[in-house]
Amino acid sequence: MKKKIITMLMAATMVSACLTACGGREGAAESAPAQAVEESAPAAPAADAADAAEPAAEETADAEASAGEGFEDGATIGVSLPWLGTQNWKEAETMFKEQLEAAGYNPIVQAADQKVPQQQQQIESMIENGAKVIVVGPVDGTQLGAVLEQAKDAGIYVIGYDRLLENTTGVDGVVQFGSVKTGELQAQALLEGLAKVKGEGPYNIELFGGGPADPNAPNFFNGAMSVLQPKIDDGTLVVVSGQTDFTQCATVDWDNSKAQARMDSLLSGFYSDKDIHGVLSPNDGIARAIITSCENAGQQIPVVSGLDAENESVEWVWSGRQYSTVAKPTDALVAETIDIINSLKEGKGMPSTDVTVDNGVKDVAIYELPPVVVTKENAKEVFANDPGRMELLK
Amino acid sequence: MKRIKQVLGGDLRQYTMVVALVLLIAVFNIISDGRMLTSSNFQNLLAGNAYVLVLALGMLMVIVIGQIDLSVGSVAGFAGMVMAIAARDLNLPWWVAVLIALAIGLAAGVWHGFFLSKLGIPGFITTLGGMMIFRGGVIWISKSISVPAPAELKWFGSGYLPEWGPAFTGMNNSTLLLGIIGIAAFIIAQVRKHKASKENNPIWAVVVRICIVSAIIGYFTWLYGSGRVGTSFPVPGLILLILIIIYHTITTRTKFGRNVYAVGGNKNAAALSGVNVERTYFLTMMNMSLLAAVAGILFVGRSTAAGPADGTSWEMDAIASVFIGGAAVSGGVGTILATMVGGLVMAVLNNGLMLMGVGADRTQVIKGFVLLAAVAFDVYSKKSGSGSVFSKLFRSEKK
Repeated sequence: MKKKIITMLMAATMVSACLTACGGREGAAESAPAQAVEESAPAAPAADAADAAEPAAEETADAEASAGEGFEDGATIGVSLPWLGTQNWKEAETMFKEQLEAAGYNPIVQAADQKVPQQQQQIESMIENGAKVIVVGPVDGTQLGAVLEQAKDAGIYVIGYDRLLENTTGVDGVVQFGSVKTGELQAQALLEGLAKVKGEGPYNIELFGGGPADPNAPNFFNGAMSVLQPKIDDGTLVVVSGQTDFTQCATVDWDNSKAQARMDSLLSGFYSDKDIHGVLSPNDGIARAIITSCENAGQQIPVVSGLDAENESVEWVWSGRQYSTVAKPTDALVAETIDIINSLKEGKGMPSTDVTVDNGVKDVAIYELPPVVVTKENAKEVFANDPGRMELLK
Repeated sequence: MKRIKQVLGGDLRQYTMVVALVLLIAVFNIISDGRMLTSSNFQNLLAGNAYVLVLALGMLMVIVIGQIDLSVGSVAGFAGMVMAIAARDLNLPWWVAVLIALAIGLAAGVWHGFFLSKLGIPGFITTLGGMMIFRGGVIWISKSISVPAPAELKWFGSGYLPEWGPAFTGMNNSTLLLGIIGIAAFIIAQVRKHKASKENNPIWAVVVRICIVSAIIGYFTWLYGSGRVGTSFPVPGLILLILIIIYHTITTRTKFGRNVYAVGGNKNAAALSGVNVERTYFLTMMNMSLLAAVAGILFVGRSTAAGPADGTSWEMDAIASVFIGGAAVSGGVGTILATMVGGLVMAVLNNGLMLMGVGADRTQVIKGFVLLAAVAFDVYSKKSGSGSVFSKLFRSEKK
């Protein structure tokens, strides 16, 4: 008796499992229109054919119609940023939210607190939320491979923002400031500042790099070294510590406190009987850490480069403590990204560009914007359209 | 109330977290317009949290013996990085690299086990040292730069089971097979248990229990199997499932498992009754680091690259899962299955809040409160000795 009941039960469960299963695959049908944008050859899954042929066919028809037209108004756009710990990312968050909303999209803007697994999950939740385009400012450009390919499979456009997405086929293009160019500009500003402020050479300098997990950081450094190396070779510049490799100079996680600790030890180790004249700094936070360290050590403030035009550094440039910074206007970057999204929406695909970079797996289209050097002389011109920063120049 | 008890099999307290989990899923599903209970979301949920749950398996045993392991994140990161570098720079095939990573985990575990069991240095200190050593090691050997991993590894971290057999099932047949095996195994286990038990639990209760669990397994089989073509129950989920079965068996059926609880409950009493305390400590710590290496491999597979910051604060997620699952801070109490439920509560919370677009900052705050509430609730219900709120509700209803 017992056995009979159990056997019947098993049979019943399996039958019911089969029945529910046949009604399944709706998820697949729903995602068909999204795929259609990419492949324009949506095929209803074979399993559907028998049971759910009609609705699936309708969906497919819709999909084909929309394939040439991009996507509808009010489409969801995902923006995944690495964190909100520096001003440029915070600005990007606000701008994306406001401007995407103003352009009639439904934005989901999230930041990952510098944690890769968190960012992976955020991107997945954007896929779940039916995003048509996902903009990604990666925590680590190499570690999103699988999840971005998943987005591609769902027919979503993936745009890298500010940092290259490496080691994955799941990327359509990257919007960024020319990072090698940025490094060159930093180095040129450093040389110019040394000549102007510190008189005749040779100059004692030190080099700092950015976070090694950020693919831009080595580019900044290499760009800068392409300008500085000839001057080091001819003796105009002396790197007193001898630390000229990127790995020696890198600042893990762009962490200001780590940069300050390194500067402290450089100053106590190599500059007890020397003056430091200049420091190559990859961004503003690190520049301020370096300047603070020099002040604490009783040194004259050296010529220091920077990047990002953070408010505090704009003030410091204006008051003469930090010689220069490089503005990578976040609004320009956001505007360029939204232009691309609009082009996708209208069904025109990714805009064409001449620049491509090999990300390890494929050649990725790069949409490059030119950065701008800011010193005390030109600050007012550069920020003429930026009331917030103009406030600081008083 | 008595009937519900008969169906669930006695102790209701262990079901409190399960109820919480079900409620969480239901609430998030409603708030997010049904985006929670979708095939792809649940595939992500499992693939994205498998590494934490794998760590929690080992951490449960460490916490049961009354220790803590702070090094697991660093060991996971280190093992993953060694694997990636071995494959890239030494041109080793991917499976050799995986074996190397596991060996690294084992070696790290031997190291921690030695200091804890032979020298008697508390696990907290031993593994705090290990945390620094291996974190520094990752950064050192990687020169702080991410290293791409062999493409084959992606299967471990985010792969799916193969598609085969007839199409009329409308599902991924590998997943369907898994579901059928799961239901069959549960039925066999229940029938055996019923025959063996001397209590007179009525047959209808067993049947209802089988129906409920079969329905749940059936539903998830359908959920995982009916996603986009080419997807299935995720491979990391399957690895996790196998590990859960192995560790559930170890902790409940083997002598070593009983020793773990004995040592955690009362070390001296265990030693007096002939349990080799040193050996139990050693094996538990060794096992933890081995699992950390497995977690590292899964994560690198999913990320397609090993990064210098991999594993940062993973130990905290694992520890939180164990305590939400009802393990005692003082040791001796806790089960593998409850720990998995605890880990899933955290994972669902994370996932649901992200679906709603809540930022990382507030998510962190909410998770902190949940941890505190879960443990406080557990402590309270143990003190008052009157079972869970859940059972109280039912009791008052009956009166």
